[in-house]
Amino acid sequence: MFRSRSWFGGGWGRPKNPHSLERLKYLHNILCKNTTVSESNRGTLVESLRCIAEILIWGDQNDSSVFDFFLEKNMLSYFLRIMRQKCGGSSYVCVQLLQTLNILFENIRNETSLYYLLSNNHVNSIIVHKFDFSDEEVMAYYISFLKTLSLKLNNHTIHFFYNEHTKDFPLYTEAIKFFNHTESMVRIAVRTLTLNVYRVQDASMLRFIRDRTAAPYFSNLVWFIGKHILELDACVRNDADHQSQQKLDDLVAEHLDHLHYINDILCLNIPDLNDVLTEHLLHKLLVPLYIYSLTSDSTRRHATSSPYNRDHIQSIEVITRNLEAILKGKNTEVSPGRINFPRRMESEEETKPSVSCVVSLFLLSQVFLIITHGPIVHALAWIILQSDLSVFEDGATKILEMYISNAKSNVKLEFSKPQLSLEKALESTSGHERDYTTPEYSGPKVFGYDTDHSSCDLDPELVSTSLPSTSQISESSSIAHDSTEDLVTQIHSMKSSELTSPKENMPDSPLPDSGIESGSSKTCSELNNITDEEKQKLLGATPTTTRERSLTLDSILERENKEIEKRPFLKTILDSLDCSENDYKALFALCLLFALINNKGVNTELLDTLLCPEPEIIGAMSSTANIETEATSNESSEQTPPTPAVRCSMQSFNILLISKLMTIANLSCKPASKVRLVTLELSVTLMRIAMQGASGVAGGRHLSAADTLRSRAAALARNFYKCDDIFLDMFEDEYCEMSKRPLNVEWLCMDAAILLPPTRTPMSGIAFAKRLPSGEMERARRAIRTFFLIRDLYLKLTGKPETQLPLTNPAPFVQVGDVLDLNDSDLISCDIIQKDGTWHHRFLAVDNIQIILVEPDKQRLGWGIAKLVGSLQDLEIQGDKEDPRCLHLTIHKPRVGASGALPRTVLLRAKFKFDDHIRSMAAKQRLTKGRTKSRQKKMQQIGRLLEVSGVSAPTMAPRHRPLFSRPGLTAVRRSTGSDGDDTDRRLRRPSAHMLKDGIVVYRERTTSRERILPWSTQSDNISRKVLAVMDSLRSSVSRNSSTHGSRDSSPRSRPEDIPLEDIRKSTGMAGNDSATPVTQPSQPSTSTQLPKQSNSSEETSFISADAPRPKRKGLVETI
Amino acid sequence: MSYAYLFKYIIIGDTGVGKSCLLLQFTDKRFQPVHDLTIGVEFGARMITIDGKQIKLQIWDTAGQEAFRSITRSYYRGAAGALLVYDITRRDTFNHLTTWLEDARQHSNSNMVIMLIGNKSDLESRREVKKEEGEAFAREHGLVFMETSAKTAANVEEAFINTAKEIYEKIQEGVFDINNEANGIKIGPQHSTSGGASGAGGAGAAGAAGGGCC
Repeated sequence: MFRSRSWFGGGWGRPKNPHSLERLKYLHNILCKNTTVSESNRGTLVESLRCIAEILIWGDQNDSSVFDFFLEKNMLSYFLRIMRQKCGGSSYVCVQLLQTLNILFENIRNETSLYYLLSNNHVNSIIVHKFDFSDEEVMAYYISFLKTLSLKLNNHTIHFFYNEHTKDFPLYTEAIKFFNHTESMVRIAVRTLTLNVYRVQDASMLRFIRDRTAAPYFSNLVWFIGKHILELDACVRNDADHQSQQKLDDLVAEHLDHLHYINDILCLNIPDLNDVLTEHLLHKLLVPLYIYSLTSDSTRRHATSSPYNRDHIQSIEVITRNLEAILKGKNTEVSPGRINFPRRMESEEETKPSVSCVVSLFLLSQVFLIITHGPIVHALAWIILQSDLSVFEDGATKILEMYISNAKSNVKLEFSKPQLSLEKALESTSGHERDYTTPEYSGPKVFGYDTDHSSCDLDPELVSTSLPSTSQISESSSIAHDSTEDLVTQIHSMKSSELTSPKENMPDSPLPDSGIESGSSKTCSELNNITDEEKQKLLGATPTTTRERSLTLDSILERENKEIEKRPFLKTILDSLDCSENDYKALFALCLLFALINNKGVNTELLDTLLCPEPEIIGAMSSTANIETEATSNESSEQTPPTPAVRCSMQSFNILLISKLMTIANLSCKPASKVRLVTLELSVTLMRIAMQGASGVAGGRHLSAADTLRSRAAALARNFYKCDDIFLDMFEDEYCEMSKRPLNVEWLCMDAAILLPPTRTPMSGIAFAKRLPSGEMERARRAIRTFFLIRDLYLKLTGKPETQLPLTNPAPFVQVGDVLDLNDSDLISCDIIQKDGTWHHRFLAVDNIQIILVEPDKQRLGWGIAKLVGSLQDLEIQGDKEDPRCLHLTIHKPRVGASGALPRTVLLRAKFKFDDHIRSMAAKQRLTKGRTKSRQKKMQQIGRLLEVSGVSAPTMAPRHRPLFSRPGLTAVRRSTGSDGDDTDRRLRRPSAHMLKDGIVVYRERTTSRERILPWSTQSDNISRKVLAVMDSLRSSVSRNSSTHGSRDSSPRSRPEDIPLEDIRKSTGMAGNDSATPVTQPSQPSTSTQLPKQSNSSEETSFISADAPRPKRKGLVETI
Repeated sequence: MSYAYLFKYIIIGDTGVGKSCLLLQFTDKRFQPVHDLTIGVEFGARMITIDGKQIKLQIWDTAGQEAFRSITRSYYRGAAGALLVYDITRRDTFNHLTTWLEDARQHSNSNMVIMLIGNKSDLESRREVKKEEGEAFAREHGLVFMETSAKTAANVEEAFINTAKEIYEKIQEGVFDINNEANGIKIGPQHSTSGGASGAGGAGAAGAAGGGCC
C-alpha cells in the first residue's frame, strides 16, 4: 500500500517480485551506492539489509543462484563496512544487520551455503567487532547472533570459527567476556554457547579451550559464584523477619543455576576440561568458602593463629578483591604480582570471607544434590567426613610449622617430579605462559591474564603447572599430588587430615582415577614407595594418631564423641543436629547428610563413616559394657597401621549419628517441640538408612528403639484424639497429603524460605511442613503426621507391611458401572433433581461405607448397575423445609488412599425426591446413621492405631462389610445392606462381631501381629474362652437366623415396611437374620452367594472382597 | 525510543511447532508471510503500547537448548511471560503440553503469565487437535488460550499483546516486584537521550518502513 512511497521513487526499475535474483541484484546495487551510512540513507540500508535476509532464505529454499550471487559479490563485506562506520545512528543499522545475520544463519538449510558463508572469515570479523554493547538492543541481538552460530557448530563448521594455526577462537573468547553480564538473558546465552562449544568433540579446539581459556574462564566463573553466595549470606544474615524473601529466592535460584551449569559441563565428560574445572571449584570455592565456613568460630580462630593460615586461607578474599578490581576497574596493565602480594600483606588482619554455617550447609547440600562428578563430590565428601584437626588439638604447632615450611618445597618437589616423565607438559606450560603474555592477544586473553594470575596467587608455580599436568599426566597419582598439595596450601585443616587420616583411610582407595582424592591417592603413592617428604610427614604423624586412639577408648559413643572433635567439619554437621533450641541448622545438616549419602559420585566405602557401625560395636552395643569394646577396639586400632585390609578400622560415627537423629525424633514427640515436620521426615529417612547400614537390616537394638519411638508418637497423637468429625477428617487428609507428597530433598533445597529462621505463622506463606504449627488445629495435624512418619519408620525397619493405613481400603468398593445383585436389598426409589434441572430416576442403596445410586439392570431382574458411588462418611444430608418428601444430599468422592485429594471432589449435589415422606425419612435416617457409623468405625481404627485405651479390643474393631458383589467373580456377593443391619449390629455389637468375624480375626491377629496391638497377647487366653462361648452361641444364632433369613429374603415380602421396621425398631431380629447367616460359610440356608460374603463382609477395609476367601483371610487379617 | 517497561518472554513447545516463525511474525511485520518461505528467528524485540505506555517486549526462543538443564532452568526464571506453543496439526505436540507446563511451573517465577498457543490454524484441513481441546486444557491449567497462524498472521499480535496486558495488570496489582529484574521485567531508562533511533529495533523500523518493500 505504500508502494508509491518508495525511497528511490521507483525510478530504479525495482523488480516487482520480492523473491528473485533480480531483486537481490537490485539490493546489491543499493549497497554499492550507499557505502557511507548517513541520516538520509539509513532507512534505505536497513530495509535493504532486511530484504537481503529474506531473499537469501528464499533462495536457500528455492533458487541456488541467489546464493551464488551473494557470495560472488562478497556481500558480507558490505555488511562489515557498514558496521565499522561510526556515524550517527549506526546502532540502528547494526541491529538490523545483526538481525539479518541471525535470520541468515538460523534459517539456512543448505549446508554448502552455510560453508560458503563462513568460509571467508567475515563472520569472525563481525564477531570481534566492537559494537556498542551499552545499547541493550545491540547487546541482545549480538549475543543471540553468537548463540545462533554456536548452535551451528559441529566437527566441520568448528574449523571456520577456531583457527588452529593462529590459536584463535573469537566466537568463544568474545562470548565468555559477557559471562557476568548484568542482563540475565545474556548470561544464559553465554552459557548456552559455551556448552555448545564444549560438546563439539574436536581435540584441537578443546586443547585450546583448556590451555588458553579454561583457567581464566573457570576461575572467573568460580569467583563470580563465590561473590554471589557472599551476597546470599548477607541476605540471610540481615533478614530475620522474612522481608526480602523474594530476593533470597532469586539468589538461591541463581546459585542453583550455577551448579546446574557446572554440572552440565561436567556431564559432557570432557576429561581435560573437567580436571581444570574440578580444580578450580575445589580449590577456589568449595573448600575455602563452603567447607571452611563449616568450622565453628572457635576452631577457626584457633586455626588462624597459625601463620600459615593467615597467609593462605584468606587468599579467596584476595582473589575476590583482585578480580573485582580487574572486572570493574579494567586496570589490566598492573601486573598481578603487584596487585596481589602487597594486598595480601595488608589484608592479614582482615577477616577472610566466609558464610554462616547455615548457608554453608545449605549450599553444600545443593552441591551434593546436583553435582555427581566423582572427583568433586568424592573429594568434598572425603574432606567433610575424614579431615582431621587433631594436630591443632595437640597444640602441635611445631609440626604444623614444619609442615608449612616444607609445604613450598613440597610443592616444588611435586612440581619437579612430573618433569622427568612429562617434558611435554612443561613445554606446553611454557607455551601457555607465553601465550598469556602475548600482547596482541587482546580481549579475553587480557581478561584471562589477570584472573589467571590472581588465582595463582597462592602458589603461582602450582597453578601454572596444574593445567598441563592434569591434562597430560595419565598417572592419577601425580595428579592427585598436585591437587592435594593445592588443597593443602589452600586450607590448613586439610593438611592435618592428610597427615593423620590416610592411615585410617588406607583400605578404601577405590578411585585411583579420581584426580582429587587426596587421602587415598596419597596412600597409593605411599604404597608405591614413592619417597618424598610428604611421605615422611605421613609416617611422622602416625604415632600421634595411634596414641590418640588408644587413649580415647571409653565407650563407643564416648569414643565417637571424642573422635568427632578431631573432625571439625563432620563435627559441625553433627553438632548442628541439635534441635534443643530450634531446628534451623539441623534441617540443613540433614539435607547435607542426605545429599551426601545419596550422591552417586561418592564412594560408598567412604560413607561407611556414617553408615557402617564397626563390627565389634554391633556386638558390644547390646550391653553397655565397655571393657570388651575397649579391648576389641584397641586390638583393631593396633592392627590398623600395618594392614590396610581391615576395613572397619576406619573410624565410624554411625552410633553417634543415630543417637543424634533419635534425639530429634524424640524431641518431635514432645507437645511443644520446635522440630518442624520436614526436619522430622528427613531425620526419619536418614535414621532408616543409618540403622540399616550396608546390610539393609536393622539390628534388634534399633528395632526396639524405633518401637519406643512409635509409642511416643502415638501418645502425642492421642492427646488430640477426639470423637469429633474434624479429627477424623484431619487424620485422613494428613495421610493423603503425606502419601501424595513424599519428601523431595532436591525440591526442599530449592526453597529459599527455609534459609530464614523457622517461623510459626502461616501468613508467611511457608508450607505447613516447613514451619512450626500455629494453633491447636495445626498442632493436632503435626502430631498426626509425626505419628505417621515414625510409624512408617518402624514398619520399614521391621519389614512389616502397612496394613492399617489408609483407613479405607479401596479394594472392596463398589465402582461406578458395577453390576450388583440387589435381590433382597433395601432399595429406596427416588428422583434426583439437579440444580440445572436434569432429572434421573434411581434406586438408593446404602452400604456400610458407601451410598450407591443404582439403575435397574435390564438384562437381569433384581440386579442393578451402580451409577454413582459416594462415601457415606462425607455425606451431607439436609431435609427440605418445604417438601418433606425431599432431601438435599451432597455426595463426595470416596476418600481413597493418596487419591483422596483436597479439596474433596463433590460428585453430586442434588435434591432427592422420594415417593412419600416416610421413605424420605427412612432414607435420611439410614444415611445419617450410615454416616455416623462409618465414622465411628474409622475412629475406632484410629483408636487402635494410636493405642487409645478402650478402643483396642478387636471386638470394637471397625470393619467394613462390603455389601455388593461384582459380577464375574466365581461367586457373587449378595447385597445384605438391608434391614438396618447397622443398628442391629450396634445393639449387639460384641456378640455380633464375635460371631461374624471376631473368631477368625481375633485369632489370627493374636498370632500374626506382634506389637501393634498390645492387648492381644494378654487377652489371648480370655479371648479363647470367649471364642468358645461365642462358638456355641453362633451356631444357635445362625440356625435361628437362617430361618429368619429365608423369610426375609423374599424381596417382596416387606417392601412397605422397610424403613420403619428397620430403623425404628432396630429390627433386632430382622437385622440379625440378614446379617448372621452371612457369616456362616457353612450355612446352607440362604443363597449360594452367602458363604462368599461371609468372609469378606465384616473384615476391615483391607480385605479384597474378590479374593478367594479361605487363603486370603489369614493374610488379610493380620492387619 | 524509551519505554516504561521491558517484558521478557520465552517461547516454549516442541520443535517444529512454529515458535521462531511466530516470533518473527510478531517482532518484524515486514517479513510478510509467503507460502513458499519459512523464516524464523530466535530473538526479537518490539515496542507495543498498553494503557498509553510504551512497553518493550523482548522474546527469546529457547529452541535447541533443551539438552542442558541449566539453560532451560535459567530461561524460565528470567521471563515474565511464556508462550506455550503446540501445533494443531500434530497431536503429539499437544500431548507434550503437560510436560512443558510442569517444567515451566517448576522453574519459573510463580507469577509468570503463560499463554497457550495452538499454532498453524491456517491448516484447518490437517487439524488433529480441536480448538475445544485447547480451550479445555487452558481452562484446566489456568492459561489464556488462542489459536494463531504464523503464516497468515492471524491472532499473532493478540497472543503477544494479550500476554503483555496480563503482565501489565499484574504489575498494577503489585503482584510483580518490578524492581527485581530477575522476574523478567525491567523499568525503562528514565531519560532517553539517544533519540528515537537507538533501541527502536524491528518495531520502530516496521513503523517507518511499513510495507515499503512490496
